[in-house]
Formats: sequence, C-alpha cells, structure tokens
Amino acid sequence: MKHPRDPAAPGRAAALLLAMVILWPLGVIGEFRPWTLFEAQNLRVMGGFLAAFLPPASGGEFLVYLGRATLETLAIATAGIALAFLLAVPLAMASTQALSVSRLGPGAGRRRGEWLRAVLRVVLVVLRGLPELVWALLFVRVFGLGPAAGVLALGLTYGGMLAKVYAEILESGDNRPARALLEAGASRLQALCYGLLPGAAQELTSYTVYRWECAVRASVVMGFVGAGGLGQLMDQSMRMLNGSEAATILLTFLLLVLAADALSGLLRRQLGEADGRAGALAFGRRTLLWLLLLGSALLGSYLWLELGLAALLSRSALTSMADYFGAFFPLDLSPGWLAAVGWGALETVAISALGTLLAAAAGLLLALPASGRYGQAFEQLTRFLLNALRSVPELVWATLMALAAGLGPFAGILALALHTSGVLGRLFAEALQNAPPRPRDALLEAGTPSGIAFLYGTLPEVSPQLIAYSLYRWEMNIRMAAILGFVGAGGLGQLLYVKLSLFQYAQASTVIAAMLLLSVAVDAGSAWLRRWLASPGG
Amino acid sequence: MFCLHDVELTHANGFVALREIALALQTGEQLAIVGPSGAGKTTLLRLISAALRPSKGRIDLLGGDPWALSAAELRRLRTRIGVAHQAPPLPPRQRVVTAVLAGRLGQWPWWKGIASLAYPVDVTGACAALARLELGERIFDRCDRLSGGQLQRVGIARVLYQQAQLVLADEPVSALDPALALQTVKVLCDDAAARGATLVASLHAVDLARSCFPRIVGMREGRIVFDLPVAAVDDVLLSELYATEGGGLPLLAGEQPGTVPPTVEAGLPRRGTCWR
Amino acid sequence: MLHLSRRLALKSALLCALASPFFNTSVAADAVLRVSAIPDEAPTELQRKFAPLGKYLEKELAMKVSFVPVSDYAAVVEALASDKLDLAWLGGFTFVQANIRTKGTAMPLVQREEDARFTSKFITADANIKALADTKGKVFAFGSPSSTSGHLMPRYFLLQDGIDADRDFKNVAFSGAHDATVAFVASGKADAGVLNASVWEKLVDQKKVDAKVRVIATTPPYFDYNWTVRGDLDPALIKKIEAAFLKLDAGNPEHAEILALQRATKFIPTKKENYAGIEQAAKAAGLLK
Repeated sequence: MKHPRDPAAPGRAAALLLAMVILWPLGVIGEFRPWTLFEAQNLRVMGGFLAAFLPPASGGEFLVYLGRATLETLAIATAGIALAFLLAVPLAMASTQALSVSRLGPGAGRRRGEWLRAVLRVVLVVLRGLPELVWALLFVRVFGLGPAAGVLALGLTYGGMLAKVYAEILESGDNRPARALLEAGASRLQALCYGLLPGAAQELTSYTVYRWECAVRASVVMGFVGAGGLGQLMDQSMRMLNGSEAATILLTFLLLVLAADALSGLLRRQLGEADGRAGALAFGRRTLLWLLLLGSALLGSYLWLELGLAALLSRSALTSMADYFGAFFPLDLSPGWLAAVGWGALETVAISALGTLLAAAAGLLLALPASGRYGQAFEQLTRFLLNALRSVPELVWATLMALAAGLGPFAGILALALHTSGVLGRLFAEALQNAPPRPRDALLEAGTPSGIAFLYGTLPEVSPQLIAYSLYRWEMNIRMAAILGFVGAGGLGQLLYVKLSLFQYAQASTVIAAMLLLSVAVDAGSAWLRRWLASPGG
Repeated sequence: MFCLHDVELTHANGFVALREIALALQTGEQLAIVGPSGAGKTTLLRLISAALRPSKGRIDLLGGDPWALSAAELRRLRTRIGVAHQAPPLPPRQRVVTAVLAGRLGQWPWWKGIASLAYPVDVTGACAALARLELGERIFDRCDRLSGGQLQRVGIARVLYQQAQLVLADEPVSALDPALALQTVKVLCDDAAARGATLVASLHAVDLARSCFPRIVGMREGRIVFDLPVAAVDDVLLSELYATEGGGLPLLAGEQPGTVPPTVEAGLPRRGTCWR
Repeated sequence: MLHLSRRLALKSALLCALASPFFNTSVAADAVLRVSAIPDEAPTELQRKFAPLGKYLEKELAMKVSFVPVSDYAAVVEALASDKLDLAWLGGFTFVQANIRTKGTAMPLVQREEDARFTSKFITADANIKALADTKGKVFAFGSPSSTSGHLMPRYFLLQDGIDADRDFKNVAFSGAHDATVAFVASGKADAGVLNASVWEKLVDQKKVDAKVRVIATTPPYFDYNWTVRGDLDPALIKKIEAAFLKLDAGNPEHAEILALQRATKFIPTKKENYAGIEQAAKAAGLLK
C-alpha cells in the first residue's frame, strides 16, 4: 500500500537544524560545560563551602545585625515603591490616551499632545529598560553607599514599570465615562478620579501590591553594589567565603520572600473580596485600617532609612549630579570597544537563552510531581523546593555558582536556570493541573507508561502555554543576565562593573546603551514572537 | 475472555451505578449493549476495561482478576484492551497520525514512543487503519481541523491500529450519519472477526445493534434486563426497555425526530453482510 | 569584636548618607573632619585599624573626626571630588584617578615610609604552578579593579613579563579586596592571585593564611598608598594634619600602637610627582585613557 510521507518532516528537520545552528554557538559563547561541575577542584571548593553551612551562624550579635539588615531591606522596598508610585501617577496620567484632552475633537494642540506622549513613552522605556541594579550602581557613586541609592534606583525603575502598566490598565477599561467628563470640561485629575478610577482601582492596587513583593526581592540584591540591606551582608560573607553566615542569610532570604509572597497574596485576596461587596473607593472601616497600616509602614521606612530626599533637589546637589552624569557623554564608539561590548552582549544573550532553556526543562520535570501526579507527599516536597529555588535571587545564585562552576558565563547560566526553574516550575504545575485529563487517562487505560502518556496526552495541549511562559521569562532573564557580571558571571555586567571602577565613564555609558538596546530589542522581539505563536499558522 | 460475577459499582457520592451484573463472553464473541441513557452502559464498559474497580463482586479478565495484579502486570494487561470512546479523548493540537499511532504506545518500548514524536514510526500502519474508515487523506491533519464524526472515526482507527484482543466501543458512531455509522460498525465487527478478537459495543441505535451483532444485552437503571441472541430480541422487548423514553425506539436516523427511520434492509449498503 | 564593628559599619553607612552634601548642605564642614579609606580590606578591618588614629587626630587637630566606611573604591574618589570627604587614605592608582576627577586639586600629604618602595605578592595554592609563566591559562584573581597593588601594578608587571591579563588567563576574577583574594586562592576559586605585600605579611603574622598558599613572585618596588586631602580644605588645617602625621614616632608607646596598626615605621611627606610612574603604568596597561 502506498502511503504519503510526513509533510511536516522537512519543516521539523529545518527547525531542528536551525536550533542547533543557533544553540551551538550560544553554548560556545556561554562556555556551557556542565562537566566542569564535577571537576575535582570545583567539587572541593563547593564542598568546603557547603560544609561550612552547618551549623548556620547564630551568634547574638550577628542575628541582631541580620535583623537590622532585613528591616532595612523591607524599608528600602517600601520607600522605593512609594517613590515609584509618586513618579508613576503623573507619568501614567500624562501618557495615557484615555485622559487626553487634546484628542477630543480633535482640539488644538493635538499634535503637540501626541508628541509629548511619545517622548514620555521613551522616558518610560529608558527608566524600566535598565535593571534597577545598574541604577543602584550609578547612584551609589553619587549619593554614597547606603540605602538612599537603593531607594532611588527602585523608585526610578519601578516608577517606569508602574507608569506603563497603569497607563495600560487605564486604557484597557471603559473610557467613555472619562471622555464624557472631559467633554464636559472636567480636568484630567477630575476625569481620572470620577471617570477611570472606579473601574480600575482594584486592578491598579493589586498590581502595585504585586510590585511591592517584587521590590522586596530586588532590594535584597541591591546590597551587592553597596546599596544597603541584606545583599550587602551576603556580599561580604560570600567574598570571605563564610559558609555559616551565608547559610543564615539564605534562610532569611527564604523566609522574607515567602512572607512577602503570603502578605501580598493576602492583600490581593482582600482586595478581590472588597470589590465584590462595595465600590472600590468606598471608605469602609477595613479600607481605613489598611490605609493606616500603609501610612505607618511608609513613615516607618522613611524614618528607619533616615533619608533626606528633599535635599536632593538642592542646587549644589543638582549641579553635582549633572556633572557626574555629564561625564558619561559622549559615548565611546571606537570600533575596538564596540566589538568588546558586542561580544559582551552576545554573551549576555547566550547566558539568558541557555539559562531559560535549562530552566524550562528542569521546571517541566519539577512541575510533574508539583502538579500532584505522584501523590500529596511529592507535591508538597517539590512545591517547597520550587519556592526555595525562586526565593533566592539570581545574583545570589550566581555568587554560589561561581564557586560550583568557576567564574565565567557558565555560572551565570546555572544561576538563571536555578532561579527560573523555580518560577517556571510553579507556573507549569498550574498549567498541568488545568490541562484536560481525559487524553492522558485514556492512554493510561490502554496500558501506556505514564511518562509516554504525558508526552502524547498532556503535552500537546499545554505546550503553547509552557512556551509562552518560557518566552516571557527569557525576556526578563536577558535583563538579569546583563547584571550577573557584577559578581563575575560574565556578560555586559562585568564590563560595566570594571569600567565604572576605572572611571572610564564614556565606555561605561556604551555598555549601558547596549543594555538599553538589548532590552528594547527583546521587548519588540518577544512581542513579535508571541503574536506569531498565537497566529493560526504558528 | 471475561466474566463478571455479581458485580456492583457504587460511586463515591453513594449513587449505585451498576448492580447484580453477571456477564460472560467467549473469545471471539461480539456483543452489543443497548439501553436508555443513564442505564450504566458506559460504566459497564469502563468496568470491563479495568478502568474502574467494582465495589462488589469479581471480575475475570483475560484469564485472571485484574485487581489482583501488580501495577506493571495490570499495565501489560491493559495493552491488550482497546477502547473506542464516544467523544474520543484526542488532544486537539495533536496530528491524526500521532493520535492513531498512540494506540500501540503500551506495546512499544519507551524509546519508540519518543522517536515517533520526532517522525511517525509507522505511517503505513496508521494509513491503513485510517483508510478502512475512509480517512486516509486526513492522516497529517491536526485533530482540531476535523469534524466530530471524523474525530470519532480517528478514535476507532486508533483501536484498529492497537489490534487489541478485547475491543470495547462506547457509542462509537453517535456522531455519524446512518450510512456511515453502519459501515463503521461493520469495519469494527469485520476486524474483530478477522483477528478472532472479542468485541463489545454499546449502541444507542437499536437497529444498528440488531443488524450487526449476534448477541444483545439490554440494560436499564444499572441492571441487565435481558441477554439474548439477536433473533430473540423483538420490538416488544425493546419497547419495554425504552419505556421511559417516550417517542418510540431510538433508531439510526432517530436522532432527528420526525424523519422516517430507514428499515434495516434499506439502510444496509450492499457490500457484504455482518451477520455471522 | 567582629560583629560589633559590623554594626558600627552599618551606623556609619547611615551617617555617610546623612553627611553627603546632597542630603545635608547646611552642616558646617569644618566642625567635623570627614575621613575615609579605600576598602582594600574587609570594612570591619578598616574600622579596627582606624580607631586609634582617629582618636589621635581628634586630639591633635582639636576637632571631631568621623570615619566614613565605604565598600567601593570609586565611591571614595567620587566623594572626594564632590567635597563629601576631607581626608582619604588612597592607593597610588586611586590617587591618580582622584587627581583626574578633581581636576588636579586633590593633594597628597604624607605616606608611610614603606609606601615609597611598595611591592605585591603573587600567590597560589596549586602545586603545579611554580613560576608566573605557569599561571597562563588559569583562573587569576586580582583585588578590586581600582586597586594599585592588587590590580594595576601587578597587571603592568605581568605585561612586562609577557603575560597579558586580558588574553592569557582563562578567566580574571576581581575579589574586591586583598584578604578576599587570599580566600579565593586558598579555596581554589582562583588558581592564582595577587595582593599587596603589606596585607600578605599581616595575614601571615596573624596566621590567617592556609598552609597550601605560597608566594611565587614579588613585583619590583613602586610608590603606593598616601593620605590625600581635598584641595579646597583650609590650608592651615592641611598643615596641621600633615604635622600630626609626621610627628608620629615609634619611640612613643602610644604612637607605636597607631603605627603598628597602619603597618608603618613612620610617615614621610609625599608629592604628586611621585605618582607619575603609576600614571604611566596605568596608561601602558590600558587602565587609563
């Protein structure tokens, strides 16, 4: 009997070939050499360090110090988010089309309004395009070491992110009430409060709380560039290879991140319930209580950090800042340096791509038990493991992996893979739990081994979702890979760190520009890829 | 082939789905189960396929009690049982060829199952199975591009490809037009007969059951009401079975009320007989 | 002791933020002498070293002296350039950078006698590395990228020996501080490394060095550390600071403690010209453009 050949085969072979052609050089650039993990010397270094983990440091003085650093971390996150909020509200109001007065009609100044919005959007891209750690590194030089640099860095990056998302939320809702108000001559602020907020308040608050949770994680690592908090402590312990202190600090990370997780989840659930009962802006007793708590948290953070942010706007401060940032221009665009930066960018891409790929594979393996396929005990165990993996920031993993795999980009790949597999594993497990069970069950009832039944019965259904999650994380990981070099894990970060140390600001600003370009390119690229995957042909 | 001794099944919510079921089948026999909706046909088939464990009574399946076997032995036993579902559980994004080949995953070594994801290892076999159901040209389409009836036939093609010793079909042709339904059931019967396999099918349309199967079991409210050779199953018996359904017997064309059900003779394509 | 001083470090970090002119421009700068040092050793160690010297300066100058701990070399330079510090302990290369950043106003005052003939030690824990040439293809640890004795001069002398740090090592690590370099090498995180002779000898004296770690080479002598003041400080105060340092005498038991902690026999005057060689080396090694 004659039968046709598989028409998809050439396409698949081509895709496989393409993947090899892309992955192979990435592996070479990223120095992807798993076997180095098992080299005697690296095993000895890591073993010696891990052996020192037990018992974790528990001296009274150390714990007091740790407690202070933890409070400082929380305070940096809270003060940073408050600053971000202050920045984001006017930026979002100005950049959202839902509140455009000039679009009515269209009236006078429409061209100017659109131009202004375009400029603002570019500002937002710059603000959130640079990782907060780079901002912190820059600010540490200007404001001295300590939490002020961390708060400002968080405030700027998160201000950019919040503004973008606020604007999107405001635009995605029903704009007609605000438009009607504007047409009736209301001001932007009035239109916002009476036209847009009633519909969007819950989503806006929920997103802000979620960002606070992220800020806690981010402020943990700020210390690695000298911006205070737990990270500074971790950096010192890691540099002196003090295992027992590192162990205690890691445990503190874990507790802190889990607690922030839980608190943010609780807050958001409360918000969801409140929304069901009454208008979002109604001042119930509970709302009042929350506001009171929020106010005291803000005040507490501010007092604890002893920030004098108002003095930031003094004349001498501004000229001094202008002087500092002026040194970054013009960029060094000499061919030799561009080549070095280009290589660093390639290394960054390689680290992020391989790290995410490894994480996707490991995340899938961990998601199987975490979705409850092998019973309750395994589910709880893997869920705890996933939480532990993602609660340790990438930068901390990188310092640990630099011991396990030696310095260089491979340590960065491992660091990203470890943290991201925690994140992806959790998302994947949810996707698997929501997947229709019948195709797999039918295969199992026909005697198919469970692994194969998963491949034939479940994977085809969930794979688009898994790929979308992985792409999204890759986008975030490129930004992260750009800074892993601060602790010796290759990529653009290492170049930036060394150049800033040597006061070669012109070269440093080329690296920063490369980071920005990379971030913008990734934004655009992943948006395109998602559209392509979502299209019927994909 | 299999034997049910006084089997009872109670669901977790306390609902008794099957009670006092006694049924035995010889190797190579073909049996149709009829009865109103909710009679327990599907549950009975799931019990026979060792997908459900009876809450009472005993099952002998392919020479032993499946629930006394180890997990590995039970898995091997299940590879010898093929099930065609009313709504085939095929992932919409899977290709037809993969869905059909999946029928033998239990028999293949694991590496073959993985290799087949990269390139279908047995296009010839899948094509042959599909061709018997006139779906040969859809082999490389994705399942979500098929109509409900085509999907049902892909599910049947998977069972044909599996070459199970015991074939269980649960309303396998409910989404097909009368002519195609008859033809498809015939393919199932012919295949089982040619291989000496045993076939049990639950059918909603009683004329289909009467025209293709030598032995018919009637079920109602979780019990077996009758178990007779086809010749002994007359309209009176069936009318009693479906008494609660109101408007007459469910026939092949009866899915669309008001149309005249074709006689068995008129609806039979003259390509041979399935009486044996 | 360690933990105590760490807490101190935190407090002073807060102080640093407060003391910066961005935050607080009204404080009369002359009431307090703000002193810092490049963090070439663990911050806690720097505090320990400075405490008696700070007391001595307070007495001699009749003004309050506050030590601002910093964990980044470049931050010290930026702080000097933006008038956030009055007096700083700088490395030779950091001084050159500060001189450029302050457009030539930073003024080196005194240095230890030892700093006029300073050296760096190349160390390893790998039995197969017997000479500098054997470090090719290995992981090599410098201190901070801004360090004179932990990066610049060793890099320069390596280059003269035909080893290009950018090309010939498998990987270059920056440990951040001299004592951290020893930890890197002892643990095997780096195959070889380099640190300044003064810290090396101190660690050996304190028996803090793993027995496996040994010296394979020493650099030729060069000018290193000095105490630098910002140029627009009151000239009378500058004179008083210089005099206070030069007066330190090993014969005086109180002074002897200070000198021992600074690992100095005595302080001698220094001048900008002493660091021209470093500037040239930095240019030759490509660290200065």
